[in-house]
Amino acid sequence: MKPRLPSWWARVRSRLRPPRTLKVTRIGRTYLVVTFGVGLGALNTGNNLLYLLLGLLLSMVVVSGVLSERCLRYLSVRRVGADAAFAQEPFAFRWAISRGQGHAFALTLSEADSPLTGAGGVGYLPTGVDHVVRADLTAPQRGPVRLTGVRVTTTWPLGLFAKTRTFPLESTLLIYPRRTYACQDPGAPEQGPVGDAGNPRRNDGNGDLSGLRELAPGEDARRIHWMKSASAGKLLRVEREHEERRTFVLTVANGLDAEALERRCEEVAALARRLIEEGHEVGLDTPEERIRPAAGTAQERRLLRALAWLGHERPRGDEEAA
Amino acid sequence: MRKGTRLRLVLRDLGSGFAFASMAVSGQLPIWSLVLYGVALVIALAGRRPFANRVKLTALLLLAVALTLGTNVLAGSLNLVVAACAFAGLISAQRLLSTPDAATDGQVHLSGLLMVAGGAALSGELIYGLFLILFGVLASIALALGVVESAVPEGEPVPVRAVMGPLAMGVGFAVVGAVAFFVLFPRLNWNMIGPSASPGLGVATAGFSNTVRLGGAGTIKGNPRIVLRATLTPDPEKEALDAYWVGRTYDVFDGMEWSNARATSDGSEFMTTLRPGQKNLVHQHVELMPAYGARTLVALETPSRLGNAVANTQMGSRRTQIHELGGGEVRFRDSGISYSYEAYSLPPGASGDDVQDLPPEEQDALLSLPEGLDIRVGQTAARVLNGERDPLAAARKLSAWLQREYSYTLELSGDVPDPVADFLFQRKQGHCEHFATALTLMLRTQGMRARLATGFFGGERVTGGYVVRAGDAHAWTHVLVPGRGFITVDATPPAHRASQSPRLLEQLINFYEVVESQWRDVVLDYNFRDQLTVVRSLTRSHEIPKKNEPPSRAPPPRAFGAALLAAAAAYTAWRLLTQFLSRERPLEATRFADAVEAQLASARITRVDGETLEALDARLARERHPLSPALTPVARRYLEARFGGRPLQQGEATRLLTDLRRAVLTESQRVASEGTRPPQARAS
Repeated sequence: MKPRLPSWWARVRSRLRPPRTLKVTRIGRTYLVVTFGVGLGALNTGNNLLYLLLGLLLSMVVVSGVLSERCLRYLSVRRVGADAAFAQEPFAFRWAISRGQGHAFALTLSEADSPLTGAGGVGYLPTGVDHVVRADLTAPQRGPVRLTGVRVTTTWPLGLFAKTRTFPLESTLLIYPRRTYACQDPGAPEQGPVGDAGNPRRNDGNGDLSGLRELAPGEDARRIHWMKSASAGKLLRVEREHEERRTFVLTVANGLDAEALERRCEEVAALARRLIEEGHEVGLDTPEERIRPAAGTAQERRLLRALAWLGHERPRGDEEAA
Repeated sequence: MRKGTRLRLVLRDLGSGFAFASMAVSGQLPIWSLVLYGVALVIALAGRRPFANRVKLTALLLLAVALTLGTNVLAGSLNLVVAACAFAGLISAQRLLSTPDAATDGQVHLSGLLMVAGGAALSGELIYGLFLILFGVLASIALALGVVESAVPEGEPVPVRAVMGPLAMGVGFAVVGAVAFFVLFPRLNWNMIGPSASPGLGVATAGFSNTVRLGGAGTIKGNPRIVLRATLTPDPEKEALDAYWVGRTYDVFDGMEWSNARATSDGSEFMTTLRPGQKNLVHQHVELMPAYGARTLVALETPSRLGNAVANTQMGSRRTQIHELGGGEVRFRDSGISYSYEAYSLPPGASGDDVQDLPPEEQDALLSLPEGLDIRVGQTAARVLNGERDPLAAARKLSAWLQREYSYTLELSGDVPDPVADFLFQRKQGHCEHFATALTLMLRTQGMRARLATGFFGGERVTGGYVVRAGDAHAWTHVLVPGRGFITVDATPPAHRASQSPRLLEQLINFYEVVESQWRDVVLDYNFRDQLTVVRSLTRSHEIPKKNEPPSRAPPPRAFGAALLAAAAAYTAWRLLTQFLSRERPLEATRFADAVEAQLASARITRVDGETLEALDARLARERHPLSPALTPVARRYLEARFGGRPLQQGEATRLLTDLRRAVLTESQRVASEGTRPPQARAS
């Protein structure tokens, strides 16, 4: 059995070997090549000035490591999140970062081990300030994205090396379906008492009178303005500021393959957005759940969330970062 | 341009400028490269980037310049290192004038780094160290500002002031680290190319020619540049040496200029003896600086032996021979930028020469007078001497008279037909050559042998040695005293014998010389022996043991400290090495997959677009391909190594690949045998 190390030794070791990843930048690679060349020249010629220069170059490498490490210490990071994240388009995402002591420079924040691309930066982080870093991230596809941690990277001070520290922060970000243009027909509106607008009389629209026009075949005779029709000698119907609010229930069929399901989700999301903007009530019928028709942005958010989860296993609690 | 960016670019450009200057102080770069870079730097500092839209054109121009430099190198007219440094400067200039983006910034800094390295190879000047530090500081600030600027969101200012404090601390630590590395890193030298020497800034001024011509204009007396550096043994330990450093003598005067009756050269040798050695010789280790500009060896009066000369050239330092000419002049056989040699001189006093020792033509020349010499010269000498016949006493009497009756000036009357008569009877003022010539000729008119000597007078103590300036150039008289030889008599007023340069300038030069001497001792000449001294000083105790107390045999505490540091360094190196050897190699599985694919390709099994290794394995299994049984364990192991967190063990990849290769070979032989088997049936 492996003997257990004393705790102070473990602390010393963790301090000496913090969990960091180091990557040489492009200019850093060239710098190292030049340093190697200067070293060869110094060894070859015995020129003390080359030894001096070599010492300076190597010292800058060490100083880079020390200063970048100082930048990454005493940091605390939390996610502020995003308002709404749609697939394949940049969305604003925010983290809050602060530092307990000392200053930090040139920090770049990104999500670790996730398909989200993009990063936010902060040039100077003074002590004790809760700085909100904004980034335009992009998600490749719809669905929940499991976020495991926030990666903080710095190239301070000379940009030769990129040192990264990952802060473990478990969370889930829900990516809504990609926003496209809805050119499909939403289908026939629901008839009868469905949704919030169960009273068919409300199909008359609401608001002030905005105009009159001739009644088209098939239109509801209850919207005829009889007095104006009598004076005009033809049937005229009333048009109001808010035209009739119809109720649609959009469906996502069962048994679609992955690609077709994605396409359908995008169509439904676009249709729902268009219909809700027009003032209609929209519901959703999927193999996994059914959402009653309703209007407004809250309903749109409900529909998008349902579409985002479609095909994915939901967690027990509704954990979302967004 | 956002706040801070402009400052960063200026610092970047200035850093590049100092890097170029570190090469330029060597004085070896072609003038046109200095001009081109200077113009580019000025334009860049003005904020103009005219090459922003002409990248290809300027790159072509650079290529043409590179070809020209290469041709010059091949033709032998340009040193390879110098050509490379000049080209690095031009690359930097081209980058300075291009669009300032991240890539361009990096290229400017890296070309600056190359230029600084080139400067180290070309120059050993003290000012190089200054430029190196300036480049390091400015480039570091510019790089740091660039790093911060790239992280600051668009539209927000760059926090310039906040950057400076931590960065200054970092640069300070880097300088300390560089010094520690410099002091402690073992001097391992392959010696494939020797160190080079730099001609320094400015034109060399203290030349020795074959003649001394009276008249003309004299400015050399005001030049404070150091031409000679000497260490004497035994050390006189005087602040002002006030000694005569003789280069050569002249014995024939034609009325206008001095020359020698004998100008032949003997054979070359590494050590030449001018006079037989005696006891109590003064040993001198002499360095002739680049400002000296001549090949004549100089030694304290009166030189006995000269030799062990080393000439420093741009291609390195090498031992050189010397040869003796007329007038006691000894010259280096090879030309160089600077020289060092050893000389032995007689103790102050007489030279011990006898007139009979001199060649016949020189014996006659010591009494020769120019044709048409003004008769008043002899009459004046006779009047002053008033019957004095002892050569030394007569010379001192005439010398004292000249110093009393004539004044010193550097403002000359230009070329006149008889400069001696002009000096003695018209202007009654002149410089050291006039005084020495007058004294020499006046002695000769009275039948006393004398000659003119040239060299330097002076010697200021600097860090244990003595330096001589170009302004110390001087001329004086050697009078031949029977039985004692040549004795120096100087007719020039004492106050005007040494350098006449401004005192403040001399003090500044002295300060520079002290710093440069330290620079040479501590930096340029630092070697393995010095390192051992440093280590000994760290490990050995300097305490003097008390009387009646046996010396302690235990090492001092600092030895324990050094041992602890060494142990910590060794432990860290061991840990780093073990970590490096036991590191995870995430790409190993990928390389393994590439090797598998290469083997499959040799069996003419290729993957279709987008087909993974496991999909290929599944396809081969469906098709009942003969290689499928061999491929399946390979594919499974690849998946485990790539995604399952079970990296390939040492030698496992080789073993799997060997099995697969064997299967591929077997399959190839089977296919080949089927191809050569005769057909069993024929179509009718």
